[in-house]
Parts: sequence; C-alpha cells; structure tokens
Amino acid sequence: MSDNNVHQLDDQRVSRRDFLKLSGLLAAAMGLTAIPPVEASGLPAELGRSYQPNDEIIHALETAQRAPVIWLEFQDCAGCSEAITRSVSPSLVNLVLNTLTIEYHETLSAAAGFQVEEAKKQAMEKYAGKYVLVVEGSIPTGMDGAYCTVGGRTALDLLKEAAAGAAAIIATGNCAAFGGLPKAAPNPTGAKGVWEIITDKPVVNIPGCPAIPEATAGTIAHFVVFGALPELDELHRPKTFYGKTVHDRCQRRGFYEAGKFALSFDDEGAKKGWCLYKLGCKGPTTYNACATIKWDQGLSYPIQSGHPCLGCSEPNFWDGGGFYQGQSAPLVDRPIGTAVVSAAVVGAAAGAVVAMSNAAKKKSKGEKK
Amino acid sequence: MNWQGILEFARGPLFYAALLIFVGGMMYRLVSVIGLGWGKDRVPVKGSKAGGVVKSFLKGILIWPFIPWVKGTFSRNPLIYIGGGLFHLGLFVVLLLGAPHVLVWKSLLGFGWPTLPLPIVDWLAAAGIAAMLLLLINRLAHPVLRLISGPAEYFAWLLVFLPMVTGYMMTHHLWFPYEELFSLHMLSVDALLIWIPLSRISHFMFYFFARAIHGQEFGKRGVAV
Amino acid sequence: MSATAQAIQTFVHETGGWVASQLEACTRCGMCAEACHFYQATGNPEYAPVWKMELLRRAYEQRFTLFGGIKASLGLDKRITDEDISHWSELNYYACTVCNKCSMVCPMGIDIGSLLHEMRAGLAAADMVPADLAAAVTKQVNEGSPLGMTDKVWDQRLEWVADEWEVDIPRDVKGAHTLVVFSSIEVMKFPTNIAAIAKVLNKAGVSWTVSSKAREIVNFGFYEGSEEHTKLFLSRVLEGAKELGVKRIVVTECGHAYDALRWHAANLLPEANSFDIIHITGVLGELVGSGAIKLKPGAFDNDGTITFHDACKIQRKGGHVQEPRDILKILAPNSFKEMTPNREESICCGGGGGVIAIKAADEQRYAAFELKIKQVNSVGAKTVTMTCSNCRLQYTDSVEHFKLDWKVTGLAQMVADALVE
Repeated sequence: MSDNNVHQLDDQRVSRRDFLKLSGLLAAAMGLTAIPPVEASGLPAELGRSYQPNDEIIHALETAQRAPVIWLEFQDCAGCSEAITRSVSPSLVNLVLNTLTIEYHETLSAAAGFQVEEAKKQAMEKYAGKYVLVVEGSIPTGMDGAYCTVGGRTALDLLKEAAAGAAAIIATGNCAAFGGLPKAAPNPTGAKGVWEIITDKPVVNIPGCPAIPEATAGTIAHFVVFGALPELDELHRPKTFYGKTVHDRCQRRGFYEAGKFALSFDDEGAKKGWCLYKLGCKGPTTYNACATIKWDQGLSYPIQSGHPCLGCSEPNFWDGGGFYQGQSAPLVDRPIGTAVVSAAVVGAAAGAVVAMSNAAKKKSKGEKK
Repeated sequence: MNWQGILEFARGPLFYAALLIFVGGMMYRLVSVIGLGWGKDRVPVKGSKAGGVVKSFLKGILIWPFIPWVKGTFSRNPLIYIGGGLFHLGLFVVLLLGAPHVLVWKSLLGFGWPTLPLPIVDWLAAAGIAAMLLLLINRLAHPVLRLISGPAEYFAWLLVFLPMVTGYMMTHHLWFPYEELFSLHMLSVDALLIWIPLSRISHFMFYFFARAIHGQEFGKRGVAV
Repeated sequence: MSATAQAIQTFVHETGGWVASQLEACTRCGMCAEACHFYQATGNPEYAPVWKMELLRRAYEQRFTLFGGIKASLGLDKRITDEDISHWSELNYYACTVCNKCSMVCPMGIDIGSLLHEMRAGLAAADMVPADLAAAVTKQVNEGSPLGMTDKVWDQRLEWVADEWEVDIPRDVKGAHTLVVFSSIEVMKFPTNIAAIAKVLNKAGVSWTVSSKAREIVNFGFYEGSEEHTKLFLSRVLEGAKELGVKRIVVTECGHAYDALRWHAANLLPEANSFDIIHITGVLGELVGSGAIKLKPGAFDNDGTITFHDACKIQRKGGHVQEPRDILKILAPNSFKEMTPNREESICCGGGGGVIAIKAADEQRYAAFELKIKQVNSVGAKTVTMTCSNCRLQYTDSVEHFKLDWKVTGLAQMVADALVE
C-alpha cells in the first residue's frame, strides 16, 4: 500500500476520469463552495468564483500523505459503523475509508485480540501526532469507568491514550458526541460524550443516531485533504452538515405552513404525506442533513418514510419528552396533576390565612356593618 | 453561550417551577380576595340578577369586542378598542388555536384539539404585536393613562410583549438560531408565568367576578346591561 | 385618630370581597374616562373615574396585599396623606355625580359608581366634605330638610299648594295604601309638581297620603356618603310609613332618593322590606298603561320639538326607562325626539350627586352641562322634560346661566296637564 493517495488510486486501478469524478464528489460532500486560501486572505469571494473547488481537491490528493484513521468503539451499538459499511462502492465513503486512509477498526477488523491491539499500538506510535481518531459510543465514567473495558482497560483510559497522539478527534454518532442512549435518565453508567472528557484538543461532533455516513466520511475527508477541521458550530458540529434544521429543508414543510397535519400514522393526512409535527416531529429543533443528503445514498429519511424526526442529532434527545410528544411541549415530569393540585392547595391555604388576617383588620376598631 | 443547555433548563425545571408558582399564586390571590367576605344583598329584585349576569358575560365576550359603537366610546378612544381587542384576539388564537401551543396543552392536559392554519395564526400574531405597540404608545401619550400608569403597568407590558415577539421570531426563524429564540421564548414565558400572580395581569381571573357583579347590579334594576 | 387615618380605616372597613375583587380586576385601560362627562367636558385627566377612586385602591393594596405592602414600603406606591384626602375630596364631590356611566363602558364590568360611593364614605369619615354640602347635611339632621323645610314650612307650603291649585292632599292618613314622599326641591322650588302628582293620584283613585314625619325624601347623607346620616334620613321615611301602616312608598320626582330608598335601604335597615318601593314614574306608567287615567293624545304636539332627559338614578340606575317613552308617545307622538345617547346610556345633567349644592363646583357643573346643550340643540328641541327635580333644578339654573331659550318641565307635570278629566 502506498503512502500517497494518487499512488493508492493507481494501485486500485482507478482511472483519471473516475478520479476527477470522485474528487468532485468529495468537494460536494465537504460543502466546498469557496476557496480556503481566498477566504483566509479576506479577499472577496467573487474573485474565486471561477475557481473550481475540484482542482483544490485534486491538488491536495496529489500532494498530501495518506492519513491513518484509528476508529475506537466504546458504549455503542456499532450502528454508526454499520451505517457506513452499508455504503456500496464506488462511493464517497468507500473512497475515504478504503482509499484515502488506513484504519484500525475494532468491529471491522478481521483480526482480533492481542494482535489487533498490537497493531493499533504500532499505528499510534508510528503516526503519532498525525492520525485521525474517530470515536463511536459514549464513555462511562461511573465506577471509575469500569462499565466499559476493552482488553482489560477502561474506555476512559483508552480514549485519553488515543487522544493524546491524535491530530484530530472526530466523535461520530450521538453517543460519542453527547452521550447518546446510555446517557438517558437516569444515566446509570455516568456516560459522557468525548468532548466532555477531552478538553485540550478540538473535538468534532458528528451526531446522529446513527450519524449520516456521508457526514462522517466528509468530515474525515476534509481533514485528510486540507489538514484542517471544517467550520464548526457551537456544539462542534460541521456547519456544512449541521447548519440547517431538518425543518428548514423538509419536503413536507409546505404542509406545516398550511396547517395540514397527520393526526395518526394511518389516517388520511398520513397517507397524503402531510406534516408530522403533531405526531411529535422534532424537526424544528434538530440540526442535521437528513432532509438533503438523506440515508442509503439519498434513498429516504424518517420523515419521507412517514415517521416523525426523533431529533437524534441533538444532545439529550432521549430525554426530550418522548418521540411522539410535540416538539414545543415542556420537559417536565409527568403526570403533573398532583404537583399542580398541591401548588393550588398551598396557594389557597396561604390565601385563606391572609384573608382571615385582613378580615380581622377590617373589624378591629370601627363600627360593625 | 450554551443555548441548548439554557433551552433544556427553561423548558424543563424552570418551566415546572414557573407553572407551579403561577397556579399557587393565582389560588392565593383568589382566596385572599374572596375571603374578605361577601355581604348578603337584601334588596328586592326588579328584573333578573341571573339574566343580567348571563347577558353581561355574553356582551363582554361576544359583543363588546365586535361592536365598537357600543356606549359611544369608540369614537373617543378607538386606539384602546382596536388595540385591546386585537391584542386579546391574537393572544387567544395563538395560545389556543396555534399548533405549537396546542401540543403544549396536549402534553399537559392529556388531550388536544384542532388548530388553525399557520398563515391565519401568524397574521393574528403579527396583529397582536402591532396592537401591543399601539397600546404602549397610547399609554405614553394619553393624559389619563399617563396619570394612572406606573412602573407596574410598563413592566407588565414588557413581560407580556416579550413572549409574543420571541414567539413570532421563532416561527419565522428571524435573525438568530432557532434554539436561541426558543430559549428566549421559554425564559420570557417563565418570567411571565411567575409575574402574573404578582401583578394586574391576573385581571383575567377577577374579570369573572367583576362581570358577574356588573350583570347582577344592572339585572337587579331591570336595566339593559 | 387623624382625619386621614379615619378615611383610610373607612376604606379598609368598606373593602370586602365585593370591592376587592373589582379593584383587582382593573387593568388601567382608561376607558372609564371616555364615559365620564366631567372628563369629556374639561379634559382634566384627574376626573377619570379610575383616578377618583385611587385612594380606595391604595388603601386596599397597601393594607391587604403582600405585594402592595412591599411596594409601598419601597416607595414604589404613594401612601395616603392629608393633602391627598383634601385633594380627592374636591375630585369626588365637585367632579362626580355618581351617575355610573363609567360602569357601563368598563371592559371588565367594574361597578365604578359604587366604588366611588365608598370613596365618599371614607372622605365623609375624615370630615372632608365640601362646606356647602356639610352644611346642608347638618341642616337636614336638625331641621329635617337641607332646604330648610321644617315641619312648619312644610305645613304652610302644602296648605298653599292645595289652596292655590285646588287639589286635595291627604295628610297623615292612617291606613292609606300608599305613602307619597315629596322632595323639598319640589316643595320649595317646583310646587306645581306637588299639585300635579296630587291631581293624577286623585283622578286615578289611589288611596294615598303624605306624612309630616316622612316629609323629606331627599337624602343628603347619601350624597355625602356617610352611612350614619344616610340611615338616619332613611329611617325617618320608614318610621313615618310604619306609623301610618301603608303598604307602598312612592318616591316622587327625585333621583338619588330613589336610589337610596329602593336599592340600598334594605341592606341598611331591614324594615325597608316591609314596603313596596316605587318611583312616581313607575306609578304613572302603571296608571296610564292600565287605563286608570287617560291622557289627551298629542297634547304637547304643537309647541316645537320636545326631548326627554334620562335621569341617571331613575333610568340608568332605576330601570324606569320605558315608561316615560310610552307616555311621551301619547303626549307628543310627532314632536318627541330622542337625544343621542339616550336611555341607560344617557349623559348625566351634571347637577346630581350633591354637585349643585356646592357653589365651588359651579365651574365643573356648567362645563358638564355644555354637553347637554350640544345634545339638545342637535335634535332642535325647544322643550326638555325629565323625571327628576334635581335635574330640573340644574337645567333651570343652567338655562339662565347660559341664556338659553328652552322650556324645562317634568313628566308628572305634563301628565297632570294632559289628564282627561
């Protein structure tokens, strides 16, 4: 295997034509609409408009080294990995993970046991300071991290060790980003996201349950190609993929605006493809690329298939009130009836006390009516 | 600023607390006022007290808002009429017939009801906001209102205005990211819920007593309400 | 106890659930001002009804509510001072006739008139009643009437009226069915009214009498707002009625007296419920409607347009809205024209509530009357008739003051004049 991307592509008998096409795909996936050098220089973007982003990719691929990717899994379901491997070649994902990178992946490696651990250790030493660390799954902190161990060592430990030598850290999936399902109340394992533990290095979050494969791959590609992380929002998510809400790009938006809502899963409205807001769709508060990139290479996404958005790329979505509770509803313990009645009783009692004291004030000194 | 965190807090524990304060506070106000005692009316009735009460409520809810020339007051101060009416109409439609709020009711009460299409609710929301601004200007300009208004009135106006305007911004995704607007909306709603029992905004509860008294007094004398 | 403290204590004492729930309902919308004729006429924002009862609100909020108490101690709400009591005395007695039109426009339905009456109770307790009014009250306490109608004067006047207009006025008849109590305004200023009412009742064959004990229906304690005085003057009427064993008391053409006796007496003096209480307007309506008396149709149709002034306490607060119209339809079917607004929405004459008795309030009173001038002139009326002699006094005085060429009369007078013998 060559260390240079282009040589690697040669080895795989990828033609120049296909190479150009794949570069375009990469560029689109990374959301490259401007030229980093021009942007960085502060010159107006129009200057670079005629410039093909494609060329930038090609140039980078021709000159950059292949980057190693170390993929660790902790408290996870491996869903994010599954999603990525469902992609069929030739594809972006395939390109990124098989062509551009070398990886250590626990689930996907054919080998197992001490050999794989040894391979990982060697990769980390050889490419220290240069490898991309991809993390899947949350990290338990309860019981000193004993809830999740690999090869006798806690996930916490393994993460810190791997993060120490990483050039970039990408947390893929809601679990790695925000704690995911394990973090749902009452969070028995003390699960945390990567960025809550690794605070001295930039961590990119690619949340989703699972994460959209193109999002993970595109972000890895960006780092591999440019040696830098893409622009991130305040939750460290790449703005390319997480800059708009599902609601903003939803194909059923027109029905929302017109007030045409499906009221149950098989009523007339549902059959006509009406908005799923009243069935608990969390689209308005969920930032993700589902409505545009979709799943299974643009096949579909939950809303298109008739199920409301779960909000799976947002922190704490498992505690977000329930999948079928309205997005606007408050997040309070239910049922609230007892609490409300108690509050009313307390208020009434206080009111009675005040009323009696006031009534006494009226009667004291002065004629009786 | 961790808007996600603020949002979770504002629509979670803070909302819970605000709601309980609201319920407890309103009950307190109700009991402390009604508990002041109610004398017995021994005066013989000429017309009908009950009839007067019914008519008073009907007029208050159904007719007064829609017939501005009643009692000849519209021409003298159309602003209060239009402003007050539009504000209340916008408020009720948004709170009771707007999809996002009906989902809130559904989650709190266990049942929901049909809603109006977004464009209608949206226009009425905008009208309500415009009406609020009109009412503020009126309160600052009219000599009587200037005399009787103090910090309490202006503060109450602000606390009612903020949820309306943040809600509108939210719906239209104006200028700020959605979760920021949602957080601001929830924070302002929580502040309002807490402030209602402490202020004149609680008038909606005493409205029923005053209207009933009004109906009784006029009905008793056989005078049209 | 200082005067101010007395006032505050009275405010507090008066504030039960009935008052408090209405004070709480006020949203400070200012609509009431648009209905107040004193505010309309002068543009003085302090005449807004909500402002006139401000001290009642302060007393309530600062003493009965937690938040109100806090605000006051932080200086965010003013405490009631002596100057306030004195100033509000002027606002309430000079620029309010307790006509209750404000209650009709309040979006919350607050009975502002009644609350303003409570204000007067407090002001009276603080002895902050305008001198003229206080003097009149004292006169009524000592002489039985604010207009100096002692029993001797009463006797003389009645004799004279009976003689001059040749009417029979039964006096102190035990066992009569109806006691008729005149107002000293009629006896002293509009004596033809006495004759007119006597004529009508006699023609209808009503078993009636007057009482020398219960000779004064006017109740200046009611204007003043003092419960003690109100009760005193009411009890004279009720005792007189009891002594004669009548079943019914008729209040003649006086407004506030009807309000006091019909709508308040029973809650102050339970014995009021032993009698039917009705206003002469109601009696006239009954007699005409039942055919007990017959009127000459169109009797007043050839003297230019005639319009009707609704008296606040007899129409808006008394309910006798339709009877005058039924009668005027017979008496002047062609020349009777309604003013606008009318019936329960009518504008007060500006002289009620004791205002006309207070010289210092002349400015406000005449300003308010200008609204009536506009009303009457816009229907082109030459004659104005009404069912209250206090209104009649205000109209008569103002016609002279403004040098108008209107004829001012009363409904009972018209009925008597058009009576078919």
